[in-house]
Amino acid sequence: MTGQGHNVPPDLLEKTASVAAQQNAMERGCKFLPHGCRLFPVEQGWESTAISRDKSVSVVGTLLELEEAMRDPDVKVVFIPLDAMMTDADIEKICQRNAAVRTFFREVKKGG
Amino acid sequence: MTKKMEQETHLLKTKIKDLIVDEGFQKKESRRLLGENATEAAVNRETERRMQMARELSDKLVRPLGTASRPYPMWGSQRVDYNGQSNLEQVLSTIADDSNPMKVYSERPFAEVIAMAYCDMPVPSMLPLFFDGLERRKPESTNRTQMMIGDPGAGKSFMGAMQGRMRSKQPVEVFDCGGKNMNELLFEMVLDFGAGDAMPKAVDKRLQAGTLEALSLAKLKQLPSEAVTFDENNNIKSIDWTFFKGGAKPDEVETAFAILKDVSHIEGLDKASGNTLGMNSQYGPLIRWFIEGREGVLDEYNKSKEGSDNGLQTVWQFLNGETNICTVENPLKNKDLTNGPSSFTFRREDMQAGFFVTLTGNKTEDGLTTRSLNKSVYSRLSPQTLPDPTEADWQHRICQMMCGVPVSTLYSVFREQADENPKEFGQWLMQLRKTKAELEGVPVPELQETLLENWRNVVNSSRKLARFYSEWSEMTNAENLMTTGNTDLIEEVDEEYSKKEGIDFRKIKQHLEAALPIRPHMLPEDAEAKADFKNFLKQPVLAEKEYENPSVAFGTRLVDVLDRMVFEKSEAIGKHKLYEKLKASMDNAGLRDIVLQDGAHSFQRSVEEDLNVSVFDSTDMGKQAAAARKVFCDYIRQVDPQIVEADDDKIITVARLKRALQTVGEKNTAESKELFIINREHESLGAFPLARAKIEDMASYPEGTEEVELSVSDIVSHEDFMAALALPTVSAKNLDAIWDTNIRDLSEQIEKENNPQGPNADQKSSADEIFKITENRSEQGIATTTLRVMFEDASGKESDVSVHIVLNKNRKKALIVGEKVPTKLLSAFKEAGIIHVDRHAPNAKAKVDAALNDLTRGTRNPELAKRHLADAFRFRNDFDLGDFLVEKKAITPEELKAAREELKNGNGQTEAKLDTVLIKQGVLTAAQLAEKTKLSELLVDDKMGMLYEKYVVKDRKKPAL
Repeated sequence: MTGQGHNVPPDLLEKTASVAAQQNAMERGCKFLPHGCRLFPVEQGWESTAISRDKSVSVVGTLLELEEAMRDPDVKVVFIPLDAMMTDADIEKICQRNAAVRTFFREVKKGG
Repeated sequence: MTKKMEQETHLLKTKIKDLIVDEGFQKKESRRLLGENATEAAVNRETERRMQMARELSDKLVRPLGTASRPYPMWGSQRVDYNGQSNLEQVLSTIADDSNPMKVYSERPFAEVIAMAYCDMPVPSMLPLFFDGLERRKPESTNRTQMMIGDPGAGKSFMGAMQGRMRSKQPVEVFDCGGKNMNELLFEMVLDFGAGDAMPKAVDKRLQAGTLEALSLAKLKQLPSEAVTFDENNNIKSIDWTFFKGGAKPDEVETAFAILKDVSHIEGLDKASGNTLGMNSQYGPLIRWFIEGREGVLDEYNKSKEGSDNGLQTVWQFLNGETNICTVENPLKNKDLTNGPSSFTFRREDMQAGFFVTLTGNKTEDGLTTRSLNKSVYSRLSPQTLPDPTEADWQHRICQMMCGVPVSTLYSVFREQADENPKEFGQWLMQLRKTKAELEGVPVPELQETLLENWRNVVNSSRKLARFYSEWSEMTNAENLMTTGNTDLIEEVDEEYSKKEGIDFRKIKQHLEAALPIRPHMLPEDAEAKADFKNFLKQPVLAEKEYENPSVAFGTRLVDVLDRMVFEKSEAIGKHKLYEKLKASMDNAGLRDIVLQDGAHSFQRSVEEDLNVSVFDSTDMGKQAAAARKVFCDYIRQVDPQIVEADDDKIITVARLKRALQTVGEKNTAESKELFIINREHESLGAFPLARAKIEDMASYPEGTEEVELSVSDIVSHEDFMAALALPTVSAKNLDAIWDTNIRDLSEQIEKENNPQGPNADQKSSADEIFKITENRSEQGIATTTLRVMFEDASGKESDVSVHIVLNKNRKKALIVGEKVPTKLLSAFKEAGIIHVDRHAPNAKAKVDAALNDLTRGTRNPELAKRHLADAFRFRNDFDLGDFLVEKKAITPEELKAAREELKNGNGQTEAKLDTVLIKQGVLTAAQLAEKTKLSELLVDDKMGMLYEKYVVKDRKKPAL
């Protein structure tokens, strides 16, 4: 790492990593959900870790948390970990009943 | 958040009566507030105060849409004159009125409203309904409902919710009316888990940890199916607790209550404090939305339980403005010991600006569960029926799905301005998309950004796609087969098929979803498949992964998906006629190739070509320079071990490379014959990244004249030549520079000597086309030539080698067959539309075959084009049929000798007739001969020398750029 690297605030580094990871995931295609929501799969690894650590991203593991994220106007990006208790159909259903634009990144197994 | 900010974000909670800027109304209101005994002066003062307040509040809420400087597209009926006759037609135009624009009453900033209104714009034929929806949301409108009836997937609930989202950051609740009792819109039975949802959270936690008791799990599995999902092993994956807090039927709530009570007991949750579990009746969505001053959508209203909305008639009368007050009683009160409100009164004066209800319904043809509404509902809700989608609608939605902006509609209304200044139009589209992306919390996907930059390609391709989808939709609509010219499909397309496979807007989503990811690509059926049988069961070591820009082959992937879908939904299920019609429709629309009626290839681009977009096509030189810099630095690092600098900027700046590319871009290299290669001089490459090169063609030195003398160091290396082809701008300019007419001149001279009478007309025409192919002047766009460059093999031995180039300039694609190239160049080649084949690779011939198929696709006669290319190749290269066949072990040396003997004896026939003799002698059949000497065989032959070498040499006389 260069001398300059040490001066970069950790928050900024994490944010940069998250943005890069999001862009990578977005290049790999998405599932279109109701009301303009989109679901991007992101392989388990540095990309999913970077997105989940991003403070501006809401991490949800249950449908109750997902519903809460849909109803919170300050939430824009939602991360769904691999072990989250929900199916894609659940996510679709909850997007359908809460018409709000959210971008989802769902962690998936490598090569899965 | 300050109090002022908080107030401004809740402006939609303002009572409608406080927003109406109408003196008569406010005077009446003032009188009501002050009482009958108030003096006229007091009423006037109050009226003035209220008017001032209404003006201020309105100013804060109103976001004008469709003004003189920001026109908004609108679709509607207009009288159009043709030859003096006036016809009523549906046209797309704009609203651009500063005095009376459309108004969105919104808490959101103007930029957000505009971005949503333009990016998420309803399809043209739905715009009048959108306009109507905005009108009904105005404070002075007493009708606070809009009901739309249309086909599934038309975008009804999306449009209703979108209007709500444009007004507030709060989500718009969508209530699915399917199968429900509509009285539940007013009062509903729910489960009450207490403030913190302690019990559901505890169950979720144990479920995730796998610590729930077996009995609890068994009980939870009996919850209503709508609330539970299972994984592939039939284990509970999730529980939708919110379903029981609103939306479940009373019997479902009762069942869940009993189950959860048991689970709570089994798990010991009932002993913990806070784990509340009760059953209540509460206000249903309609009353909640009214109280909270928010929007809601009642989805699939006419799929609700028959007769269950009879009790709602008075409510609809209130909501549509017929009455100003309406009281409804709670029939669930005290039922099964539940608590809850006993009644609710809707009052006009309590209505808030944010309240609005959109109802959607499907056409009654859509299945048994869709019912016809009763007359009173029709009368009160006045449903608006959506027209069938037009081609403009399909195009609009396709653009929206591909780029996030309805480019086609915006182009239609701003055509003159866009044609006059395409760059500015593109930037405006991008600005809209970026603003929308801020609302989505993520950057604009790279593919969408590339497509918006190439918006003309999007307009062209979406027009063709729209035509195809529209026809596909007509062919799969059983109800309209007779009126859409598809009577021949009556036997294959019935109502059941229409319901299942009918084409609606949702299908575009599915097809795009399938086309977006980069997936393995199937090789052409005639491509040779080679396997490593010996090591087949060992996991293979894969070649280094090449990065691929998602937009480079997006068009190919999309058309591949459509090819597959068309087959799966027709031929694969025995619908042969439908398949034939769909294939014809795809061809007519120009999805893959544009072939004119006379069979000629058109210069119009197909959907595939238009949507295969690379950075090489970018009009933004900054983007091209950034891409070029990456190739430049990666290449320099890979081939020059002395360069270890990790920072690209310290090798070459984007600005410097951009200037060099701009200079190259201005050159007419087809005339000047200049080539550019990466400058490898350490001292100067940072300032002058591109060195010059030129062609030395031995065919241009007539026999007897002195040829130029070249040393090894004069000839450009294979790597440098290849790297230049991976640089945006430089690649195209170099490919323009390598063509000549020397072969024609030489051949005509030889022909004159050998055949003084000259060729006949047919021979002349065929030869002319072949010469044109060597000169890159063929109307079909195909061309081939061979260059000589210097190559250093693994042992360090240097020698000059051939690089064969086959081009299709109409399709901006090239095949280059040469030696192995640095891996870092491979992904850039894809971007450049170049298929590179290492002639020594085990599957080289198969790759060349596939590439040639692709390059000749869309020509008048692809097989003939390949033969012409092979002939053109032979003009430049030292091809000896007999030796070649022996080398390829197609014939034995003895067979060759015998054939040559026959030639000698046959009245002095030339070697050119060797093929005829071999066939006559039965050594090879014509088909075998054609197979053994086809172009792919010639291109991968590493022993093939050149008749007249064309060297790429360094041009040291001219300065680097």
